[in-house]
Amino acid sequence: MKRLGIDVGGTFTDVVLVDDADGRHWSVKVPTTPGDRVIGAIDGFSRILELSGATSGDIGFIGHGTTMATNMVVEHKGAKTALITTLGFRDILEIRRVSRHDRADLYDLQFDAPKPLVQRRWCLELDERIGPEGEILKPLVDAQVEKLADRIGASDIEAIAVCLIHSYISPVHERRVVEILKRRLPDRFVTASYDVNPELMEYERTSTTVINAMLGPVCSRYIRSFTEKLRTLGFGGEVMFMQSNGGLAPASLVEAQPVVLLESGPAGGVSAAAQLAKKIGVENVLLGDMGGTTFDVSLVRDGRPEIRNSVVLHSHTVRSPTIDIDSVGAGGGSIAWIDAGGGIRIGPESAAADPGPACYGRGGTRPTVTDCNLLLGYVDPDTFLSGSFKLDREAAHRAVQEHLAKPLGVNVLEAAHAVRAIANALMAQAMRLMTVERGYDPRDFTYVCYGGAGPVHAVDLAKDLEIRQVIVPALPGLFSAFGMIVADQASEQQLAIEREFAVLDAATLEAAYQQMQDDVAARFEAANVSREDLIFGRKMDCRYAGQPEAITVDAPDGVVDLDAIRSRFEDAHRRHWNFIKPGHALVCNNIRVKADAPTGWHGSITANPKLPAKKKAAARTRSIYLDGRMVDAPVYRRDELSPGANIPGPAVIEEASSCIAFGNSQSAHVDAHRNLVVNL
Amino acid sequence: MDTIIYEIIRSSLYAIAREMKVAMTRTAGSPIIHSGGDASAAIFDADMQLIAQGNDIPTMLGSAVISTRVSVEAVGRDRLRPGDVIISNDAYLGGGNHQSDVQFTRPVFVEGEIVAYTMTRGHWSDIGGQSPGSYAADTWDIFGEGVRIPPVRLYRNDELVEDVQTLILQNTRDPQTRLLDVQAQYAGCYVGDQRLSALARKYGVKAMAEAMTRALDHSEALMRDAIRKIPDGVYTAEDEIDAVYAIDGVQPTIPIKVTVTKKDDEIEFDYTGSGGQVRGGVNCPLSVTCNSTWFTVKAITDVSIPINQGCYRPVKIVAPKGSVLNCEFPASVVSGNTETSPRVIDLLLSALSKAVPERVIGQSNCAACAGVFSGNDPDEARVARTGRKLASFIDVHGGGMGARYRKDGVSAIRVYVGNAGAQSVEAIEQTYPLRIQEWSLVPDSGGAGRQRGGLAARRVYEVLYDEATFTVSGERDRQPPLGQTQGLAGQPFRSEIVRTDGRVERLPGRGGQFLVHKGDKVLVQPAGSGGYGPPSERDRAKLLDDLADGYVTAEAAQRDYGLGSIVASKPEAA
Repeated sequence: MKRLGIDVGGTFTDVVLVDDADGRHWSVKVPTTPGDRVIGAIDGFSRILELSGATSGDIGFIGHGTTMATNMVVEHKGAKTALITTLGFRDILEIRRVSRHDRADLYDLQFDAPKPLVQRRWCLELDERIGPEGEILKPLVDAQVEKLADRIGASDIEAIAVCLIHSYISPVHERRVVEILKRRLPDRFVTASYDVNPELMEYERTSTTVINAMLGPVCSRYIRSFTEKLRTLGFGGEVMFMQSNGGLAPASLVEAQPVVLLESGPAGGVSAAAQLAKKIGVENVLLGDMGGTTFDVSLVRDGRPEIRNSVVLHSHTVRSPTIDIDSVGAGGGSIAWIDAGGGIRIGPESAAADPGPACYGRGGTRPTVTDCNLLLGYVDPDTFLSGSFKLDREAAHRAVQEHLAKPLGVNVLEAAHAVRAIANALMAQAMRLMTVERGYDPRDFTYVCYGGAGPVHAVDLAKDLEIRQVIVPALPGLFSAFGMIVADQASEQQLAIEREFAVLDAATLEAAYQQMQDDVAARFEAANVSREDLIFGRKMDCRYAGQPEAITVDAPDGVVDLDAIRSRFEDAHRRHWNFIKPGHALVCNNIRVKADAPTGWHGSITANPKLPAKKKAAARTRSIYLDGRMVDAPVYRRDELSPGANIPGPAVIEEASSCIAFGNSQSAHVDAHRNLVVNL
Repeated sequence: MDTIIYEIIRSSLYAIAREMKVAMTRTAGSPIIHSGGDASAAIFDADMQLIAQGNDIPTMLGSAVISTRVSVEAVGRDRLRPGDVIISNDAYLGGGNHQSDVQFTRPVFVEGEIVAYTMTRGHWSDIGGQSPGSYAADTWDIFGEGVRIPPVRLYRNDELVEDVQTLILQNTRDPQTRLLDVQAQYAGCYVGDQRLSALARKYGVKAMAEAMTRALDHSEALMRDAIRKIPDGVYTAEDEIDAVYAIDGVQPTIPIKVTVTKKDDEIEFDYTGSGGQVRGGVNCPLSVTCNSTWFTVKAITDVSIPINQGCYRPVKIVAPKGSVLNCEFPASVVSGNTETSPRVIDLLLSALSKAVPERVIGQSNCAACAGVFSGNDPDEARVARTGRKLASFIDVHGGGMGARYRKDGVSAIRVYVGNAGAQSVEAIEQTYPLRIQEWSLVPDSGGAGRQRGGLAARRVYEVLYDEATFTVSGERDRQPPLGQTQGLAGQPFRSEIVRTDGRVERLPGRGGQFLVHKGDKVLVQPAGSGGYGPPSERDRAKLLDDLADGYVTAEAAQRDYGLGSIVASKPEAA
């Protein structure tokens, strides 16, 4: 059958189609339509059918990723939402635990306070209270809930988030509130914190639940409209959505829990990289995704993406298992400038897609990283996007001359090289922080680069971090869309424990884990995946008593063994911080279960046309800045290289969406899965 | 030197400072360090000049400019060896800001020479002294504020000197948890050392030193450029702060005064005329006054200037010795750092309002407003679980930040020099014999104005201890935060204990220790903040929104904004 991956980004909607019988593939990029993203997605769907000659009926599976949810939070375009909370706590969201850690600069008195997600007039209170042990201190009165429901019913509120104090320990009141609301307001989206994020700390839980509510109605409309349009076009297969944790989930689950869509787009690329790592047997992979405005770094270890349980999105905390991504404002469109003291700075301002870098010829006049790459020969003005989009070299030259070379008193090439080198340094620092902050050494990693600009900087970054191998996967410019095809399904559940190890009972924990596994399995059964096909993983969030953040460790297979978990915690703690505290009380905060169903496509893509000779000779050369000077390097087309091809440096290898260059001391080859591998 | 190498080294230094902070906060044992992030990391060059810092706590970083030099010189630069880590906290012996902020300083050796220093500072949630949490202003002298740690080596050759550690930690109330703080701060310094050594080996010791020098000169040039844009002139302001102890039943106030002289690319701050140091912890050691000044200069010039000690070179500070803004041994200092310091910043903003009106703001809450409960936990099950009987809890509170020229103020925030957050209600109730009844914004606590001041957040605790002490260190209970340019004042600080029989005891901002018992309710409400511009110029739609959202009550809308009259004159709007 044919499998389709769609990644609806902020600017482009990427579509990849794969025939899983023989690995043939097709891809297309169409503009995203922000007004109604379904239009762009369906356009991409139709275009790929034209391109491949397939029909809707040939397609058995669609994996979908989208940045829609992120954009909605950032742009404040979610559904109008009400919050129902415990008396005394309506301002939890706005108080944000007082601190503003995400403030860009602490010396800035003019910063914008984060806009509250819910208008204060719609932060409503119930006079009820549950204590820290789950005891009811003040019973809930139904009539109060009914009164609030009627008030909401008479308004244009579309979604309601319910988050009561200590509900992670006892959800009885929340459950009752939701029951009443759903009965009285059947047409509104109602979500309870216990279902979204049953975890200690009310601000973080409320924020997560409110974001889930805001996203609910809008995501639901999108999902329904998209699938309906597909059906009318004759598509009869399955549609799955990419979650922030890198696993796919059916529409019904995502509709109830749209907060899992927040990193849906980038998760596709990370998921694809995880599959790639498994396939080629590489243990540690560092990922770099360089687009127009940012450079995103993440990790895959033992074939699994590094996950974090809490992220800060545009100053709002979201606690949902999410691929661990760090971003720096060094993308192709990031603007380079000279400050009043003569220092070269890059970003945070970006020319983005519009007007884009000066060389796009759309009115941008300030130099960007891409302009500098063009002048240094890393981007070919004639073959960019397969020559469909000619770049203006003169405009790039003017921009760099005017804004960088002249004020610095150097020539254009030197200025461009300085920008590239500084951008490289910023990216390398992000990669270093990503590894060392988590207790790893970057030298133990293979670097997988993607995004249009990812491969363009890859070799320099690897050199800087003493990484020995760079892999450019197939379709680097559409890697996230490709990820939607290869990813597996996944579902997770968590439970708050909040108890010291000394008073924990392994048998009770075992029963709790079992129950969670049953719950997760039931979800898969509803999506026609049988329990036998599931791979369960158990985790536990632990910390030393009195300590800040928990560390999430994998529980060993088999029945709960607290000593083994403690020892895993100690390993992780030692790796992170070089010490442990033997004998110090250890607290279990939460337990977690994740189930994976291996439903993704795990084959390798092949080239579509007939395979040409093993290594096609370079047709031309390009002048490129390598090892400190401009050299003429032979240029190869990637789609003309077949597995086994070996290219000595210096060389440039081009493809439709990107390009990589390497010097004398390096060489590249194409592996059996059509990855381009550069050895340093 | 090569611009590329310079930029790479410079940006690496900031990345290293960030990594040090991460290493520290993720390990620390002090609740205030982990939840509140009340910790900082920075890098100094071989001459002990601040080169790079994280986006941490300004007060810790500014005062470290002084304390790092004092620490190194006290031990003796020539006596330092690889793997040494100096600990210090004392305001007089170590150049510290206040006793509970503990500094670790580590020389970074490459090829046998010191090439840099790494520094971590953390707020220890107890440093000993007269009261639990070490946050009472009613101390007689510095000795009441906690253990005085002069600069001494706590680690040698990367080994903890256990005798020193024991001597220090046994003078705090929870030595076991403090040991976690020690390990965390050590980890931060260690990680910084590792990265800096690698950087020096990669680019060369000389290149790194040159880059550091250039980074200082670079920031200095940017700062001079920014200062040049401020109109030349002499700007003055006066204010007063509350003393701690009453004399003959009257609590005196202490004048604070500044004369700012701006000429060309330099700016001088002369605090002559400020009152003499007093008994009680409101005094500022010089490091705190310098930090308040530097903070203000950075805030009203250009926040994008890469921060390092070069920024401070064009700034001259004159503070008479023995004054409340440059106190001498043995004056106590605990809330000079957290309360007087923001008051000084408000003073400076007020002086500079004539020079740069669009960059100053209405007065703010000016307090960490630390409230501390301490007593035995009566819940045996929890004692068994946590392994500790004495439950000491420190909380900071969010007040208002003043309205800006073009924007409203910010609600529920620590202003200026502090950035520590408050703890989760649920986490508190899991861990301490306290129940939180309310945590909410206080309507009308933000002063009216064209731009409204930010609101204070009030917390109400129900005491579940059988008996505990409570101290709170507030600010602005008698001097409400004033508005700017005809903006109105916000509400002052308020704290009270409601006893089980209904009696209400009002607590002074310069709190002492109070005994509380099971069933008592304790309210803590920091000050709000001042508005900016005349309230009559407030955008009407914004005012109506504020009213609908309850940030402003109907009564205040009428009184302060004259809303009633508008409605009356335009009946169709009603």
